[in-house]
Amino acid sequence: MTQNKVHSSINVLGLSIGLASVMLIILYIKDEVSYDRFHKEVGAIHRIVSQQYNEGGLPENKESITGYLQGPRFMAGIPEIEQYVRLHGDRVDVKTGTEVFSQELLRSDPNFFSMFSFPLIHGNPETCLGNPNSVVISEDFALRQFGSLDAVGKTLMLKGRESFAANTATESFEPHTVTAVAKRSPENSSIKFDMVLPLEVPQEALGNDYNWFNFFLNTFVSLQPGANVATVDEKMQQLYVSQSSEVAKILNAQYGGYDIPATYYLQPFTDMHLNAELSVGNGLSDASSPTYSYVLSAIAVFILLIACINFINLAVARSVRRSREIGIRKVVGGKRKQLILQFLGESLLLCLIAFALAIPLVQMALPLLNELSNKALALSYLFDARLVLGYVALFVSTGFLAGFYPALILSKFKPVDTLYNRFVLSGKNRLQKSLVVLQFALASFLIIGTLVINRQFDYLISQELGYDDSNLVLVEKQGLTREELALFRDRLVSGGNILEVEGKSGGSWVTVAKVGTGKQIQFVQETVSQGYAPLLDLSMSAGRNFSMDHPSDATQGVLVNEAFVREAGWEDPIGQTVDYWYNQTKFTVIGVVKDYHYDSLLQKIGPQLFTMKPTDGLGMMYVKIASGRATAALGDIEGAFKELFPIQPYSYDFLQDRNLKNYETEAKWKQIVMLSALLTIFISCIGLFALSMLAAEKRTKEIGVRKVLGASARNVVTLLSRDFIALVIFSLLLSIPMAWFVAGRWLQNYPYRIHLGWQIFAWAALLVLLIALSTVCFQAIRAALAKPVKSLRTE
Amino acid sequence: MLLQLDNIFKWVTIGGQRIFLLKDINLQVEEGEFISIMGPSGSGKSTLLNVIGMLDSFDEGQYHFMGESVHNLKEKHRANLYKAYIGFVFQSYHLLDELTVKENLEMPLIYKNIKGSERKALVADMLDRFNIVGKKDLFPGQLSGGQQQLVGIARALISNPKLILADEPTGNLNSKQGEEIMELFKALNREGVTIIQVTHSEQNAQYGSRVIELLDGRMV
Repeated sequence: MTQNKVHSSINVLGLSIGLASVMLIILYIKDEVSYDRFHKEVGAIHRIVSQQYNEGGLPENKESITGYLQGPRFMAGIPEIEQYVRLHGDRVDVKTGTEVFSQELLRSDPNFFSMFSFPLIHGNPETCLGNPNSVVISEDFALRQFGSLDAVGKTLMLKGRESFAANTATESFEPHTVTAVAKRSPENSSIKFDMVLPLEVPQEALGNDYNWFNFFLNTFVSLQPGANVATVDEKMQQLYVSQSSEVAKILNAQYGGYDIPATYYLQPFTDMHLNAELSVGNGLSDASSPTYSYVLSAIAVFILLIACINFINLAVARSVRRSREIGIRKVVGGKRKQLILQFLGESLLLCLIAFALAIPLVQMALPLLNELSNKALALSYLFDARLVLGYVALFVSTGFLAGFYPALILSKFKPVDTLYNRFVLSGKNRLQKSLVVLQFALASFLIIGTLVINRQFDYLISQELGYDDSNLVLVEKQGLTREELALFRDRLVSGGNILEVEGKSGGSWVTVAKVGTGKQIQFVQETVSQGYAPLLDLSMSAGRNFSMDHPSDATQGVLVNEAFVREAGWEDPIGQTVDYWYNQTKFTVIGVVKDYHYDSLLQKIGPQLFTMKPTDGLGMMYVKIASGRATAALGDIEGAFKELFPIQPYSYDFLQDRNLKNYETEAKWKQIVMLSALLTIFISCIGLFALSMLAAEKRTKEIGVRKVLGASARNVVTLLSRDFIALVIFSLLLSIPMAWFVAGRWLQNYPYRIHLGWQIFAWAALLVLLIALSTVCFQAIRAALAKPVKSLRTE
Repeated sequence: MLLQLDNIFKWVTIGGQRIFLLKDINLQVEEGEFISIMGPSGSGKSTLLNVIGMLDSFDEGQYHFMGESVHNLKEKHRANLYKAYIGFVFQSYHLLDELTVKENLEMPLIYKNIKGSERKALVADMLDRFNIVGKKDLFPGQLSGGQQQLVGIARALISNPKLILADEPTGNLNSKQGEEIMELFKALNREGVTIIQVTHSEQNAQYGSRVIELLDGRMV
């Protein structure tokens, strides 16, 4: 009786874990596909995107962004387009009292709130962005800033765009009037905002055909009901070609690469979130790779499958014990159909219990899923009419899947055999064995996956970067001048907590130039202060660093890295020239920096060039602090910054933290795969546990005989474990090549990766074997220690 | 003397009450004896046999087997003792269904760590002695009950025990087969093997040299 309970609970526990994982994944996928569907006219909304071609006329990248012209020009020429909205993301400094902080925002055409369904709490959606000095804020922002939702008419001081260039005056903040307060953007929205400002389009920009080629924003259009998207695509293409071809010719002559016009087409709004080819950026967020959905569903289905396998295996195995019951039922007149129904009913009942248990499991696991997926899913999300229907389908199909086969087998028994104990379950049990093999193959596959991902992750974060990123604090300061940098350095270095301060251009800038005889190469250009290379402890493989002793360095000298030298094909790089032909400037290479990982290890080290041209602004200060004095040093930095740049938002970041953030995706996958490996091995083990228990039980007599004939406990344990361990070894033989192949393919994504040695597989195999062995041994030892008398009693 | 039981008690406690399975058993067995234990169902015959065979424990009393005090021995030593000196024959044979006759015979030798070549020789001897060479590759299911019991006895004898314990060895056999088995026991006994059998049948009991009657766990 208790054994029955053990079996049932194993069945139920396994199944509920399986069901819970599927439910979690359904939640996840539902959220994924629900993105942006809350907009009323979502079917009509499309984004203008294009396919770009390279010089040879081969398809290159797909471009998801557009410029000023695409929206208005296409709408003017294509009657199917009802309206367009251009939007892009930006940051602005907001001043409240003496505090200045930097705020993310959207800049958009004024009909933003008529195309998209973002309800306003206060304000008029038609007119709220009509005035250039208007601003729409979110309810969160309103509460944070004004302490109430009733913020319409209040004023915000925002830094003007012009002041950006001038970069000086304290008076450059301009008053903006809050015209509307919007509800918080839904979680499943690609457009999320705390602040929207009207997009200002310079009048002259609209007449300038060069702007066909200046991409920086997203253009959305909504089509008239019944409009044919293919027709619109065609019309856009015609319009584009006819209006842009002249400028394209000029550009082609100048730079090359413009001979094949891009192909414009419309991307449905709802297709955006999960499209891996067309990026979601420039004001849009939450791009997601469908890979996540695929992999997660596969894992959830794996887990459910394994749980169902347990169910089937246990039911079949238990049939031995139930054979007598079946015999009696048949003798007293039970028909086969009735028996099938009875067993199906039993499995559905167990399934129902598992189902009920799965719901609290889902609730418990939700925070974890939210953390892994960066979502804020709630259990209430589950109770949606269609989903509930889905769950019922899931439940019924699981119940049938897990119950039908055993029901068929069990009901087939001949009553006489079972009653007179002549019954032997067909010795081989191929199905049972192959299912165990399948389970463990999946489990070991995932365990190998976990090990590989862990090793790769450790490799990524522990690899030598080629420079010293320790104790480096990055402080952003837009439009930093050399004088400001010097001031800042003087202030800080004297304190003793800070060793050195250098500057570098803000983001990374990819550009092209001609080298030597006219070869054109693409590279990352960094503008740095003189001591940047020594600060990062970069080593020079030839030449020298920038120096004050050579005044020409500032205007004509550049450092390049080894990758640049290789790309340029220089034998002797020092003294070679880099020619920016398009603005008629030439530089001379004065030194070669050893390659270092200026970007994450996910990127190959590419050509890189450093200038210290004084006309190029710096954007980031690199502050080297004395080790062990972080707290004091950070205080010093903040103090100096606030004093020197009172109207600049202050924020800092440790370079090491920033480097680590590069691998967040990997860290996440690491967790996901590890978790699913744990679950699968756990469910596989409870299945194996139950099977070994049943096997031990089935062989009680045999074990008794063997013991009486002199078998030691160890003999018995070996006897009982051997078969199962053979199955596990077989499953390892299946999974290792598969895992080797998949892991190898996955590692191909990384330019810097671990070597896939046999050790990983050996460790995984050992681990799986140990886990399986301890599971099986538990039962085997119990059986081996039992006294033989009981099992040998003659009925 | 082969073995001696002194004041052996064995009981189980059900609902706070002791129910005696064996009560004050005193028994001496000399080498070469052929003893039949008789008594109605539930009188403790099999329990006594199991105690003698060291498969079952007792709660009180002393048991000496070939000079060793069994009651003081640890489980492992006890197992070694019965492995070395005692062979068991069961009513329902307890042959392993998935092993052939030959393999069934070989099994006890494997557990005694006897070498492969020696095992083969011993098995061949035994097959020869019991006239079942032709059946060596058959499975138990392919044999008649009498033949199965023959194999069961052969298996008990293969490790050359001093004592054979047989629990209703003819219980599942027809009278002719039963007679043959009993004749076999008699022959073995003449060769010097001590035999203790449990039986219901007066007729079978006649083969023995001594009869012990049990009633409610007591010798009468």
